[in-house]
Amino acid sequence: MIELIHISKRFGDTAAVDDISLKVESGEFCVVVGTSGCGKSTTLRMINRLIEHSDGEIHIDSQPIRSFREEQLRRRIGYAIQSTGLFPHWTVARNIGLVPRLLKWPKARIDARVEELLTLLGLSGSEFAGKYPSQLSGGQAQRVGVARALAANPDILLMDEPFGALDPITRETLQVELRQLQTRLGKTIVFVTHDMDEALRLADRLVVMQDGRIVQQGHPLTLLREPVNDFVASMLGGEDRGLKEAALLPVSERMSPLGVGGVARERIDQGASLREALSIMLWRRVECLAVVDDGDIPIGELSFRRLVGARGHE
Amino acid sequence: MALMGAALVAWWMLPSVTMAPNRIVPGTAYAASEVAGWGAAILASLPLAVAAWLARDLDRQRLKALLALVVVGLVGLPLWLTAASVQLVDPNLPQARIGIGAGLWLTLFMLLLALVELRTRLVLPSPVTWGVALLPLVVFVLCLPLGLDGLALWQEYAGRRDDFVAAIGEHLLLVGATVAISLVVGAVIALLMRRYPRVQRLGFSLLNFLQTVPSLALFGLLLGPLAWLSDRYAWLDSLGVSGIGWAPALIALVAYSLLPMVRNTFVALEGVDPGVVESARGMGMSRLQSFLQVRLPLALPVLLEGVRITTVQAIGLTAVAALIGAGGLGRFIFQGLGQAAMDLVLLGALPILLMAVVADALLGNLANRLRKGEPT
Repeated sequence: MIELIHISKRFGDTAAVDDISLKVESGEFCVVVGTSGCGKSTTLRMINRLIEHSDGEIHIDSQPIRSFREEQLRRRIGYAIQSTGLFPHWTVARNIGLVPRLLKWPKARIDARVEELLTLLGLSGSEFAGKYPSQLSGGQAQRVGVARALAANPDILLMDEPFGALDPITRETLQVELRQLQTRLGKTIVFVTHDMDEALRLADRLVVMQDGRIVQQGHPLTLLREPVNDFVASMLGGEDRGLKEAALLPVSERMSPLGVGGVARERIDQGASLREALSIMLWRRVECLAVVDDGDIPIGELSFRRLVGARGHE
Repeated sequence: MALMGAALVAWWMLPSVTMAPNRIVPGTAYAASEVAGWGAAILASLPLAVAAWLARDLDRQRLKALLALVVVGLVGLPLWLTAASVQLVDPNLPQARIGIGAGLWLTLFMLLLALVELRTRLVLPSPVTWGVALLPLVVFVLCLPLGLDGLALWQEYAGRRDDFVAAIGEHLLLVGATVAISLVVGAVIALLMRRYPRVQRLGFSLLNFLQTVPSLALFGLLLGPLAWLSDRYAWLDSLGVSGIGWAPALIALVAYSLLPMVRNTFVALEGVDPGVVESARGMGMSRLQSFLQVRLPLALPVLLEGVRITTVQAIGLTAVAALIGAGGLGRFIFQGLGQAAMDLVLLGALPILLMAVVADALLGNLANRLRKGEPT
């Protein structure tokens, strides 16, 4: 659990971060969004003391972070940044083993851990362990970056636009993987980005920052439906919010039981999002989809009226 | 390749060797055709002509053939000299000597240029290039007993064998000390500059200024203060510090070496990707750990570049230091200049040249080796 209590950071006379309070529960995926220069990266770096906060207190598991030695604190917290920050003169294996080595793990344990992490992130150990970062693609390097952050099994991960430099397809793959990883490992993650789609896809808790302050925080759907002001509304996509909300809701939420009139021709998986359903309707020019389960067995149907959430019966 | 054409022209038009009965008299020039007759001269120029013809239209096969011809040419040059020496030097005149003429020098130069060109085109591994480049030297040594000892350069060397070895030792010692001291001092200055921006501005302008002072002037300027110091403090005197000699030379050489050393060290350390250093800190490395394990190793190739520049520069400048009695190979150059004995100048200059080239190649190679993992 991470707690920021009335935190401020001043550089000279300007306040980069101005009296923010934030609580991230254990196992929660917290995404901080905002325009450039809004203080989101500063906030992140104050948590591992790369930047010292000016006022207030930051607690990790109810202990103030200043009660730890800087290095000790950082070794307990995974850290991944946009440029990956991999050391170009070290092999992948050595990069990943960095924090365990700092913690003086025995060599055999480090080797086993590196192997385990490479497998976890879908990289074959025998192929990648001996490579240098310059020999990796952007997506592979970023996976190694995440593996390195996870190496000493920290409870907390701080990520500063880790996928910012990747192409859209790789980025989306990694987002999905990170989300699955988070569900599996139950880490507490604070993730900074300016990409709203990324934020909505990942967040349990979404925090919108502007000019060093937190404007609104809460579940992504809450922010989409009830933005406190125009800034939050426009950050969340303005008129696109309908589509962004649809992307967060599964088909199963709006489907109706199978009708008597037979099964519609176009099918959609029950786990797919309403946004995908809408897209299929637009593309195929149909108003009704058959909803199928994992075994491709129809279990319900989704009409256009149901999809848009219109009230009343058809 | 125009190179071969130029070599041919040089071979035919300029004197190949000069011949003098002793050191004082300027030598008589002989063209290639006069040395060994027309037949031999034409035969000797054959490889060059074939090479020029091959060079019109290049593919890999022809490049290899060219390489072979260049090797033949390089091996041939000392042999040619030997032949000329046997032909021209009168065994009854012990002081008689043979000099290397402009034509021969130019041919050698063109052949070496061709070698450099071929090396990049054929992507030769560096040991091969080195082997080829050193071939003439080996042949040269092998030819010595066969009559090449009539060569003026060799005669100058034979006259001062011990002196020569000592001078090389002095030269290397002075260069080594200069590089070592400026590396340590330069590193300290560069580190201070990184910490305090004010030191950085002041330091660079001071070092830039030092660099503009002519070397001879700097040697002269140090003469007074050092003489005074050694006069005043007996322990300095007993160390050998005085207005002339190694002390002012070393100080001046270090002063010149500091700029390239500091600049490269500074740039090298600053040039490390800030993201990498930040993640090192963010991962929980201490300041010292992130400096020693991340910043320094990543800066090392550029830093070594500074050492390379400094070393090559110091090798050259040390020659000038001979003027204030610091010894080294420069001594022969100035003696030779004083006595109008060009071969003596060469005896000083050639090893300096060789030293600089070897140091340059070795340090450059080392820097490349350290760039592991970086995209090339």
